[in-house]
Formats: sequence, C-alpha cells, structure tokens
Amino acid sequence: MTFYITVAISIAISSIAVLGTFMLTGMNGLFSLGQAAFMGLGAYATAILVVNYGLPFPLAILIAIALAISLAFFVGYATLRIRQDFFALATFGFGQAMIALLTETVTITGGAMGFSNIPRLTSPALAFISLAIAIFFVWGFRRSHFGKDSLAIRSNELAAEVEGINAFKHKMIVFVISAGFAAYAGALMAFHISYVEPATYGWILSVTWIIIVFFGGRDSLTGTVIGAIILLAAPEALRFTTAWRILVYCVIILLIINLRPRGLFGTWEISLKPFLRFFKSKKQQEAK
Amino acid sequence: MEKAIVIDMKNLTKKFGGLCAVNDFTGHVKENQIIGIIGPNGAGKTTILNMVSGIYPPTQGEIIFKGKDISKLAPFQINHLGIARTFQNIRLFQEMTVLETIMTAYSWRAPYHFLETFVSLPRVARFEKETKEKCLHWIEKVGLGNEAHSITQSLPYGMQRRVEIARALASEPTVLLLDEPGAGLNQSEIHDLVDLIQGLFTELSLSIMLIDHRMDVIMRLCEWIYVQDFGKNISQGTPEQIQKDPIVIKAYLGEEIINA
Repeated sequence: MTFYITVAISIAISSIAVLGTFMLTGMNGLFSLGQAAFMGLGAYATAILVVNYGLPFPLAILIAIALAISLAFFVGYATLRIRQDFFALATFGFGQAMIALLTETVTITGGAMGFSNIPRLTSPALAFISLAIAIFFVWGFRRSHFGKDSLAIRSNELAAEVEGINAFKHKMIVFVISAGFAAYAGALMAFHISYVEPATYGWILSVTWIIIVFFGGRDSLTGTVIGAIILLAAPEALRFTTAWRILVYCVIILLIINLRPRGLFGTWEISLKPFLRFFKSKKQQEAK
Repeated sequence: MEKAIVIDMKNLTKKFGGLCAVNDFTGHVKENQIIGIIGPNGAGKTTILNMVSGIYPPTQGEIIFKGKDISKLAPFQINHLGIARTFQNIRLFQEMTVLETIMTAYSWRAPYHFLETFVSLPRVARFEKETKEKCLHWIEKVGLGNEAHSITQSLPYGMQRRVEIARALASEPTVLLLDEPGAGLNQSEIHDLVDLIQGLFTELSLSIMLIDHRMDVIMRLCEWIYVQDFGKNISQGTPEQIQKDPIVIKAYLGEEIINA
C-alpha cells in the first residue's frame, strides 16, 4: 500500500468521527471534550475482541458500537440536563477518566504501552464506503425535522421546549449517534494502523474535531467534510515546513476563523440538482 | 348555555427564595373566551403564564386543564396537550426562515424514528412536505404570506411577533397564552395585532389568556379581566367593571389622583 493511500484511509476514517462532532457540536452546539474517548473505546473493544477472543471483525465492531452507545446513554443522562458550559467540563472529565481507565487496566489493554499486532483488516474500500454511508446518514438526519430541531434547540432551548420539542431526548439521540460514529471510526482506525494507545484519544483529539467543524462551517455538511479533508491532510502536506508545521497549521486556522467567522463554507451546501439538470438538458438536446 | 372551564388555576403561589412573585392566584379560562391579566410591572403576570406553560412548577396550588392536573408537567408535555404560548421578549430561532421556524412546531408529531432518517425513507420526506403545506397555511393566516422564506431575524419587530403567533398556532392548540403581544409595537401595529387576535379567536374558537398593560388592547379583547398588583389579585371583572373599580385605579395611578 502506498503512503498516499494509507494517509487517505486515515483521513476517511477520522472524517467519520468528525461527522459525529458535526452533529453534536455543529448542529446542536454541544461541546463534548470527551468525544475522542468513544473512539478509543471503539478501537480497544474491537481490537481486544478480535485479537484476544477471536471474534469475527464485523461482529466485534457491532459489539464495540453497542458498548459506546450504552456508555453514551449513561454519560448523556448525567450531563445533558446541565448547562452547556458545564457539559463541556463534565465530558472533559469523562474523557480523561476513560483514558486513565485504559491506561491502568494493563492486563487487558496493555496500559500506556498500547495494544499492538492488530491485523490490518480495514481495506481502502471499507474506509471510503463507510465515509460515504456516514455522510448519507447525516444528510438524511439533517434534512428531516431533527435538523430543524437541532437549530431550534441550539438557538433557543426554552422556545423549542414550549413548542413541543423534548430537548433532552433530542440531545440524547444526537449524543448517542455521535458516540456511535466515533466508536465505528475507532474500530476502523485500530485495524488500519494495527496499533492503539490510550494517549491518542484524549481531549486534544476531541478539540481537533471541533476545530475542523468550525473551520469548515458548522452549518454546512459539505464544509465539514471538505474541512476535515483539508485539516487532516494539512499535517502531512506541511511536512516540508518541518519544525514550523504546527505554527503554519495554527496560522491557517486563525486566518479562516477571523476572515470567515462562519467557517470556510458558511451555510453553503453542494447540490446535485444542477448536475441532474445539466444531464437532462443534454438528453433533451440529443432527443431533438 | 354555560361555557365549560378549560383551564382552572387554583390557589397558585410561586416563591423565588424570599420573594413571593404570585400569591394565591385563583382564576379560570372558559371555552372560547379571552381573559386578560393586567397589572403594573412586577405584578407577577408573566409568572402566572410561566406556570401554566410549565416553565416552572408552582410552589403551591394546582392547574387543571380539561380535568387533568398539569402543574408538574414539562413545557413540551403541556404543549402536546394543547396549550401554546408566545413570549414577551420575542424568542425566535436564529438563522432560520419563517417557514422552518414554524415547521418545528410539528416536529413532535412526526411518525418516523430517527433511524429512518438515516436511510431517507419516503415517509420522512412525505411528512416534511405535508408539514410545509400546513405551515404555509398558518403563515398566510397571520398575514406573512410574502415572508415565508425570509430569515426571521431580518424582519421588523411587528412581523417577528406574528411569526411567534403563527408558531404557537402551528401547535394546533385549544388554549393560546399571549405574553404582552403589544410590547414594542407602535399604535398602528397594535391596532392590526388586535384585529388579528380577534379574527383568530373567532375563526379557530380558541381560548386565550392575554397579558398586557396597554389598556386599549385589554379592553377591546377581553371578556373577563384579572388585576394583579405585587403578586396579589386585587380585582376581577368585566372590562367595564374594571375601568370603574377604585382599587384598580389606585394601583395604576396612585393614591393622590383619587383624593384630588
């Protein structure tokens, strides 16, 4: 496998987790600093189930996602009623607690040394198709009433409640979905790089995803996906700048946030309609 | 024929720490009736509305809606039963169009599960389409026919208030709670608003609970009026009775006027 394909697969997998953050932080304004912990859980659970217990890869993924969803349900139950700034703090605590747990349970997870020798089962096709399906899921969710409810709750939760939206239930649904996305991304990532360690899944990764969402535009699905590709590829593309890499990366983000406060794409969405119209008119011309 | 009571408020009391915002309020709204609650600032009018719409539970007392105690229900549950409201300080959703804003009032009626939206089942799109048609009807009804696709925040204040009313109507309520609908509007806007409320009341046979301190609004619309002062109910009656009541005049204009 060439270097470029390896990088492209990593970007596709991470983008799935970013889509979860897009739903949670972008659409609903909930800042979870423990989002990456769900990715860690997905990675570890799948790896342990396959390597230590010999379960088939797809089954292990399903179990890992179920685990993450159940855990998200409990965490959400405890945190989603509190104010949004406290939600960020509480999820931060949860995320770091998960890292500590993965580090301390040395006999199962290998501790800080990480868990290695995971078979490379994530094929390029699996990664890219997964991303496409994830985008399709979010697109469908967003154009249903859940998309409008998200915006309504984000901008005025009381008014949303008064007109019949159960805000807590709504936020729970979104939180659980985003945890599921992160866990799935984690599973694919573990079987792509064949190695997991707890430190990867700390709050910095959660923040990176949030930055990507705001960079691309939190009101644009297109922007989030393109933003993810740009910012996840940037560290590789900027390799030639060597030690200046992080600095250049930060300057790019600062420029975008200052010059385009609503993100690179604002509320713009790519639409298939012009393409369809183009092909239709061509057909008509041919018919003539 | 005597009209049935729709909302029965019994001995409602709300205390915030040491402050008693509403003290022992008793009153009711009948079927197809507009009642008004008036009083100076800080009289606890909005607090009564907030208790009825479930924003906070009463410290004491109960609210009976069609024979059911609703005083401990959450706002969204009360909305589902058929009570909708507007806010004094307009609470619209940022960056949403008029149509989208009003469509959210139908969200809880959606027949589909969130998993169905992932695969975009046809009935998701069908529900959205039906909702859109219903909402366009409500937008037309409040006279915003040309503004359906405008961003709500870009509209003038008077129109924003109409968006709020349309959103409340989209809940298809039996009772409408209007919290100072005339606040921040000029004289001609208020005139139009009163006509609108009167029209909706007759057409949809709603029960309306109205708060305002503009006498012209209250006197023109209400069949029965409760007067609040410092959290206490000081008087109630028909608009004619209220206008002549010396206690009300004293609360509004001060003691000296009466003595003079």
